[in-house]
Amino acid sequence: MSFREKSAWITFVLLLAFGIYFGEVAAHMLDPTRPHTNYLQLFVLLVVAIVVLEIITHAVIAFRSPHEAQTPIDERERLIELRSTRPAFFVLLVGAFLSVGTIHMGASTWLLAHCVLLAIWLAELTRYGSQLYHYRRGA
Amino acid sequence: MAPEVSASPISNQIRRLRFEHQEMTQQALAERIGVTRQTVNAIELGKYSPSLEVAFRIAAVFAQPLEAVFQYRETLSPRRRG
Repeated sequence: MSFREKSAWITFVLLLAFGIYFGEVAAHMLDPTRPHTNYLQLFVLLVVAIVVLEIITHAVIAFRSPHEAQTPIDERERLIELRSTRPAFFVLLVGAFLSVGTIHMGASTWLLAHCVLLAIWLAELTRYGSQLYHYRRGA
Repeated sequence: MAPEVSASPISNQIRRLRFEHQEMTQQALAERIGVTRQTVNAIELGKYSPSLEVAFRIAAVFAQPLEAVFQYRETLSPRRRG
């Protein structure tokens, strides 16, 4: 497995962990009597944890294969990145339109912001998931 | 010299040529043409068709003309070439 494929796996898994935040938001929306969560605190905590883990895990895989880590991105890897951007953009576009749609359904600013955040998260998951698919498929 | 079997309409002789050049490793070839070992492997297996530039670099490493390294099969339908 190449350095960039490992990197994509790490980012994909860490991005999945951000689902904890949306799980909390969804749980609160489904059960308003649930004890209030400090969303800002949870959001900052998760972002910081993900960034720190990204740095540590990337340092570890770069340490294990330093030569590969320093090799510039080649044409196949660039193609994989480009191919993965297209479905991710589609997800982002649909998410953005649906988020705007929530305004017409009387949604609050808070809900709109979370819909946009969810669209960004799903788009990033799609991007890295698609990268992994293309790396596994060989092209 | 039959082309090696691949999923792509472009087949190649890279594996044989590596063997004939002191059993050159994929990593050694990758370093000489400026791509990753995984990319060389994908090219060899026909999972990835390289750019013209990389194809010429591979041919140059083996001191062969391009058509001695890569072969194009016209029997596949255009839809599969994507």
